[in-house]
Amino acid sequence: MAEVSKPSSLNGVQPKFETKDLKAGFGSTWVLKGIDMKIPPNRVTAVMGPSGCGKTTFVRCLNRLHELTPGAVVEGEALLDGEDIYDRNADPVAVRRRIGMVFQKPNPFPTMSIYHNVVAGLTLNGERDKKKLDHAAEHSLRGAYLWDEVKDKLTNSGASLSGGQQQRLCIARALAVEPEVILMDEPCSALDPTATAKIEELITQLKKDYTIIIVTHNLQQASRVADYTGFFYLGKLVEFDETATLFENPKEELTERYITGKFG
Amino acid sequence: MPRLMDMGLDQLNSMLLEMANLSQRAVAASIEAYSRGRKEPEVKQMSDQLQALHRRVSDLSMEVIARYQPVASDLRFLKACMEISYGFFRYGRYALDITQVLDMFGDLKDCDRSDVVETAQKTQEMIRMSSEAFARRDVEMARRIPPMDDVIDRSYRENVRKTINGKGNLKCSMSAALILRYLERIADHASYIAESVEYIATGVEPTK
Amino acid sequence: MTSTIITGRRQSWRRTFDRIMKVLIMLSVAIAVIPLFLVVADVVVQGLPAISWTFFTKNPPSPLAGYGGILNGIEGSLLMVGMGTLIAVPLGVGAGIYFSEWPESRLSFLSSFMNDVLAEFPTIVIGLFVYAVVVVPTRTFSAVAGALALAIIMLPIIARTTEESLKIVPTTLREASMALGIPRWKTIFRVVISTGKSGLATGILLGIARATGETAPLVVTAGYLGFPPTGLFQQTASVPYIIYNFGTAGYPNWTTVAWGAALVLVAFMLILNLSVKFFIGRKSTGVRAEI
Repeated sequence: MAEVSKPSSLNGVQPKFETKDLKAGFGSTWVLKGIDMKIPPNRVTAVMGPSGCGKTTFVRCLNRLHELTPGAVVEGEALLDGEDIYDRNADPVAVRRRIGMVFQKPNPFPTMSIYHNVVAGLTLNGERDKKKLDHAAEHSLRGAYLWDEVKDKLTNSGASLSGGQQQRLCIARALAVEPEVILMDEPCSALDPTATAKIEELITQLKKDYTIIIVTHNLQQASRVADYTGFFYLGKLVEFDETATLFENPKEELTERYITGKFG
Repeated sequence: MPRLMDMGLDQLNSMLLEMANLSQRAVAASIEAYSRGRKEPEVKQMSDQLQALHRRVSDLSMEVIARYQPVASDLRFLKACMEISYGFFRYGRYALDITQVLDMFGDLKDCDRSDVVETAQKTQEMIRMSSEAFARRDVEMARRIPPMDDVIDRSYRENVRKTINGKGNLKCSMSAALILRYLERIADHASYIAESVEYIATGVEPTK
Repeated sequence: MTSTIITGRRQSWRRTFDRIMKVLIMLSVAIAVIPLFLVVADVVVQGLPAISWTFFTKNPPSPLAGYGGILNGIEGSLLMVGMGTLIAVPLGVGAGIYFSEWPESRLSFLSSFMNDVLAEFPTIVIGLFVYAVVVVPTRTFSAVAGALALAIIMLPIIARTTEESLKIVPTTLREASMALGIPRWKTIFRVVISTGKSGLATGILLGIARATGETAPLVVTAGYLGFPPTGLFQQTASVPYIIYNFGTAGYPNWTTVAWGAALVLVAFMLILNLSVKFFIGRKSTGVRAEI
């Protein structure tokens, strides 16, 4: 199997996340067929490809969410700062605390207020100190560009916000746990263009403090937001490069055909 | 299955082919006028047409970029389109300039025009090759064009030296110098067009 | 050439046909509803005269000996339904949680067994089972036996509604919670159950309503007592039993007591059902449907 080329700008950079021959699937069907990928720290990396290419499965393997589906299977290694999260002795709950996730459809907890939604990751893990919680709530909501819009209605239900605000609430909720990596599974696909633009802007700010991996089927979104882009097809990583290079001058014929729309 | 932007891309391609044809004929006509001492009034018309086409190509390229967000080879093609159409437009403009030299200087029957005509033929060969390289996206042919530029450059500099040294009829040497200058510029543009053709295919700008 | 406009005559025939059908349907609705109305009306009319403060504070009278109350039945029903609830709720909710959160497990077939078989089981048979298993060895009717029978009746209802309420909670909420690094059991109790709690409450109330009205199983497990409960392993009265026993005995004052008991029972059911509606009305899983 030909090696996927490595962008030269990443020479000597220690990857935040590195997968080695990562395979995943359900029952006897492999969806991911051996992925070797190095994800750089403090950058936005987009994972794109046609439906069924395995991009969502890949990202759900990175926070060990994939294995929660009955019948799911995973093989290979995924190294977070050099440590394999699938190690025999690794605690999945501890792994997931270091990695935040934002889902396709905003999913705030419907029975909780905005405030309690944001700090849910802390309170449900035993944190009781009101000062700490208040501080975390404000800090996270500011980080998600939502503080000004909700600071006077923190006790309102999480479900009372608009779609775009709910998604930012979910981002704040993920930030409150102070993860190192944030995974986003098509975070804007349920939102209108204005809300999408706000979140894309937020993503480019967040990368200063976090490593961001975003799944998207929207080529333009990947080209706007991502520093590096990986193109998946039928469970394999076809090409991985700086976004500008991949979109102006892709090295693989398959990539060229996909992004110019000459597929199928 | 054709994509939405294919219609725009096809239109651009035909316009460029038309410009290639037109500019070739314009330059040929202007050289004819010089070597035969005739007037060729349609060169002006062709030059104007080329200018109009260049503007249309520019506008349509911008429209395709704004509406369809092209990437990869499509995006490179559009960038090259605008550069290449500028090249063909310049061919026509220089052809017009050559006929204007003839208007200014009047009768050049007694001049030795063989040098210029020889250079002109080489230049026309470069024009023909640049047009064909574009039409067929022939990178091999495109790569052979820039070296030919050197020959034209040498010829131009030779002539300038001769003129400086004061040999020969002033009218003849001046008109020859001007026309060679225009031919030299045409050759440069042929090189640029060749580089653009290479860029569409490889995505790499060849370094000089 | 066929006309595209319906001509006058066909149009009026169609309208008449519509009207006839409408009347027929309204008639059938009325016919269906009238017996129900008559029952409720009868209960109210016959039962209201028996209602007074003493009705709730005195025990039933002797035959032909004047007025009384149903204190024994009320206390007995409260005791047995209460004990039954204490048994059935933890087991039922626990089963419902298990079936909902671990659907792939080998015991999940029990779920369909519960829903399809046990839920509609003839309650007299359940009563007979408890009779054989509890009453016979202890040689006495008892409140415990009655409570046990009621618990078995309530269990499938509570398990099924719990399972269904939790299944409705979107998977994405569980995933969001797990992704925050919240362990599974906390996710179930603090997120899933919290979201589905109105459904759970509904199920429990429905179970209680069902148990309160059951007569046949109590006849063969709890028996009857003329005064409030004296011990867990003693015979115990219940409101439905009073209706059964006093309503068919033939003594006019007893008949009044029976009708009064019927009215109390119907009123209690009504209150319970209104509470259920109240719980369903407060949407706890509503997410604003604005994208």
